[in-house]
Amino acid sequence: MSDFDTIKKEVRALVSDITEVPEEELTDEATFTDDLGIDSMMALEIVASIEKKFKVVIPEEKIPTITSLGNVFLLLEELLGK
Amino acid sequence: MEAVWDIQKIQDTLPQKYPFLFVDRVIAINEEEKSITCLKEVSINDYFFQGHFPGNPVMPGVIIIEALAQASILLYAALRPVEAGKKPDYFLGKVDAKFFSPVRVGDQLMLEVKAEKLLSKGGIVTAEAKVDGETVTSARIVFGVKPRE
Repeated sequence: MSDFDTIKKEVRALVSDITEVPEEELTDEATFTDDLGIDSMMALEIVASIEKKFKVVIPEEKIPTITSLGNVFLLLEELLGK
Repeated sequence: MEAVWDIQKIQDTLPQKYPFLFVDRVIAINEEEKSITCLKEVSINDYFFQGHFPGNPVMPGVIIIEALAQASILLYAALRPVEAGKKPDYFLGKVDAKFFSPVRVGDQLMLEVKAEKLLSKGGIVTAEAKVDGETVTSARIVFGVKPRE
């Protein structure tokens, strides 16, 4: 498993933990608000947890792009330079 | 204790008003650490003691959380004056809290709040309420900030 696959696994677990959505329902494509019922407060928690865990800073203007797990991975890939 | 913000500035900043205003003074603001320390003097005149409880006045835990939330709004206003200047609505998203000991009449309740993450639309803070240096309540608060329409 590559480093980034491990990171993806950790992010999925973290998002599942915050949102109480089972990991198997957290597909890369499922949209946070429409498909998964994730609200803006949970999104804020997801951002803060990712920043803490991976020691990155997610710029505020990037936050609206976080609409699915796939988008989180893209952003994290960019921030971590993977 | 010297106040950095007096009651007038607190009243101008917080949407909550008497008798639902639970911060008397801002003691310190540290912009670098993104933290604030506020004071609430717990008085027998506080309205909730009429019923909580007759003959045994104990400050309700939910009111301690409200005091910490109000201190959080003041921290937000100090660190994000542009957004706060537009007088938005603040709302609670999630509170994780622990209560360690009761708060009684005559206690000086120190409200210490530190920002974990603040954004234009909300924030996350860690907060502690202390009496005589002892932590009586600790909480992590997620809140939203919504401009008025």
